[in-house]
Amino acid sequence: MNALLSLSRAIDGMSERIGRLVYWLVLAVVLISAANASVRKAFNYSSNAFLEIQWYLFSVIFLLGAGYVLLHNAHVRIDIIAGRLSARAQNWIDVFGIIFFLFPMALVIMKLSWPLFMDSFTRNEVSTNAGGLIIWPARLLVPIGFLLLIVQGVSELIKRIAFLKGLIPNPLDKAHGKTAEEELAEEIALQRARDEQGSRT
Amino acid sequence: MSAWLIANIAPLMFITLVITLLIGFPVAFSLAAVGIFWAIVGIELNLLQPTLLQALPDRVWGVMSNDTLLCVPFFTFMGLILERSGMAEDLLDTIGQLFGPLRGGLAYAVIFVGALLAATTGVVAASVISMGLISLPIMLRYGYDRRLASGVIAASGTLAQIIPPSLVLIIMADQLGKSVGDMYAGAFIPGIVLAGLYGLYVAGVTIFKPQWAPALPLEARSLREPNGTSGITSVGVLVALAAAVSVAYAKFYLKDSPLDETIVISTCVGTAFAFVAAVVNKTMKLGLLSRIAERATFVMIPPLALIFLVLGTIFLGVATPTEGGAMGATGALIMALARRRITWKLLRQAMDTTAKLSTFVVFILIGARVFSLTFYGVNGHVWVEHLLTSLPGGQLGFLIVVNILIFVLAFFLDFFELSFIIIPLIGPVADKLGIDLIWFGVLLGVNMQTSFMHPPFGFALFYLRSVAPAKQYLDKLTNKLTDPVTTGQIYRGAIPFVLIQIVMIGLVITFPQMVMVYKAGDTAVDPSKIQIQLPPSESGTSAPDFSTPPGQPQTQQQQEQQQQKEEKQDSDAAQSLEDAFGTPKDKEPAAPAPAAPPPK
Repeated sequence: MNALLSLSRAIDGMSERIGRLVYWLVLAVVLISAANASVRKAFNYSSNAFLEIQWYLFSVIFLLGAGYVLLHNAHVRIDIIAGRLSARAQNWIDVFGIIFFLFPMALVIMKLSWPLFMDSFTRNEVSTNAGGLIIWPARLLVPIGFLLLIVQGVSELIKRIAFLKGLIPNPLDKAHGKTAEEELAEEIALQRARDEQGSRT
Repeated sequence: MSAWLIANIAPLMFITLVITLLIGFPVAFSLAAVGIFWAIVGIELNLLQPTLLQALPDRVWGVMSNDTLLCVPFFTFMGLILERSGMAEDLLDTIGQLFGPLRGGLAYAVIFVGALLAATTGVVAASVISMGLISLPIMLRYGYDRRLASGVIAASGTLAQIIPPSLVLIIMADQLGKSVGDMYAGAFIPGIVLAGLYGLYVAGVTIFKPQWAPALPLEARSLREPNGTSGITSVGVLVALAAAVSVAYAKFYLKDSPLDETIVISTCVGTAFAFVAAVVNKTMKLGLLSRIAERATFVMIPPLALIFLVLGTIFLGVATPTEGGAMGATGALIMALARRRITWKLLRQAMDTTAKLSTFVVFILIGARVFSLTFYGVNGHVWVEHLLTSLPGGQLGFLIVVNILIFVLAFFLDFFELSFIIIPLIGPVADKLGIDLIWFGVLLGVNMQTSFMHPPFGFALFYLRSVAPAKQYLDKLTNKLTDPVTTGQIYRGAIPFVLIQIVMIGLVITFPQMVMVYKAGDTAVDPSKIQIQLPPSESGTSAPDFSTPPGQPQTQQQQEQQQQKEEKQDSDAAQSLEDAFGTPKDKEPAAPAPAAPPPK
């Protein structure tokens, strides 16, 4: 089990690093899109490559980020029932879900999307839009993204089982630091306090 | 056994889905897994073609190359940056001072600022948290009823869901196969009317229960003139002048423009006038404006500028919603930089949250597409359609039942789940009944907004709870011991606003004109007369799966749907591209027909 747990830690580290790299693309795609829109209006010039790069990058964000989001337990759940169950029951649900839902769906999509990439790669497929980009890197994102999801799923599975065996604390209430909302609230409160002090002195 | 299975496969699939979702495993994976499981069952039963699953990667590809979805990260990022830019705080402070002397004034200020924030950010959590931290303590200090105070804050925060640019409307537009711009234009007036209804409710309270919403006492009005007068006359004069300028501009220059465009542009012109007046007054030290008039003008500029940058350009047709989102996000960044409110940590956090939110949203969509591939394959849409069209009362009966359904489901599901799972099922039925899909989308948007206010799961209530005082505390200014706001008070405070929401649903059903103004912009072009060839699909590999097997005659229904599809070809080329990539409504009907007729 110890070897598995170190494997899980290694996977978590990898997903975390990928996630932290990938989220910079949010800023990139915002700036590219804004620049593209301004240039389109100002100089009446538009390039399909610039339009396509936007959804390329967005696809990178959500496909390569899928494992990262799983690591942070941020995929939406309906927890009206599960939220009232014990920590053990919640972890059992995840064990069941990872094995019977996550793995099969991710494996099927990964396996079926591979031939599409191979086909695109051998044909050197290019976008049908004039001046468009080559397609195969985007096609490759699908199997890679779902592979990362599966790998992270393995890590989550290890953590759930380790918890059920009493080896580690509950991975589901692992403190991921403060939520964005909590930080916002703190900052406003801090700012308030500063203002009040300022007005008193 | 297998005959029974074949006859009931669609309802069974739906029941499996409900059970699996309730287990509490992430929705995206459960949806996809249920879809794949039943696809295999269907193939084993010879009900579906063995090649059905080959279409899966194509579904993922369709989601990837969907431009509309780019709006999701853009508007999310914009909202996250804005919530840290200090704009909300400034607005609440100043507008609170402006309206405060009125009875119920702080409540009006919350509604007004809530609507302004909604028109810029579209993030419910941020509005509720800011208002809960800034306005709630002031309201409590001066003796507002706790239920009214918390209700008005939670409800005003949820305005972000219906006033464009909101995420709900983007996703609704995507799911119904309509343009986001139209959806925004359609939701604009209902959003304002809804804010007006909240205001009316507060006005009613001040008449019947004046002690619930007292005016700010004299000593709390900090923005008074040095000589002690309120300076409100000056505000009145400036507002009247600005209003006159904007009305005049609208009368002379915007005679033929549609309503949404007129409102946006003339408001901007009026504001620009007020801004120029305030700047001239300040730099030349004319002293013509009171402090509060000057302050209010300056504080209104950033949100109005952003509204123009985003909604204005979209309504005018200058920018696509995606571009508007990117411009808005960049504008928000610039504003936050100018105010020195942004740090690397903050930027990273905004990007991180945006990436996470977009990822889980897109994954739910992928899951829903996988599910619908099988569900449509087993003619589940026919089953749903049969259920819903057999309702008595035609259009109205359908609308009422669907709204009750969504209202009830909104207690348990949030809007992502509702729009990705329910909308694709009922959208085509609405279309078939001749219901305008933009109207339908806005209607459901107003309805889903209640999911944020429903006790006890509503997110707005949850966020408010997290920032409202939970223990007795000493008010720093008055040194009075102040009672906490109980969770029960927050829940009860939300009830009148949920009722207002129901009234609003009724109003939108009764007066579809509120939404239909979106059409005013395109009267010049008759979409039905325009023929645009769909661009050839890039995803050629899956083509065989989507066509009817050779030699098999099309069913009447498929023909009908194909006809509809042809009629729907929009003047907008981008739209047709979107259609080609398969919003469920347009693509699903062409999914493989059952390989063999179900044995009886």
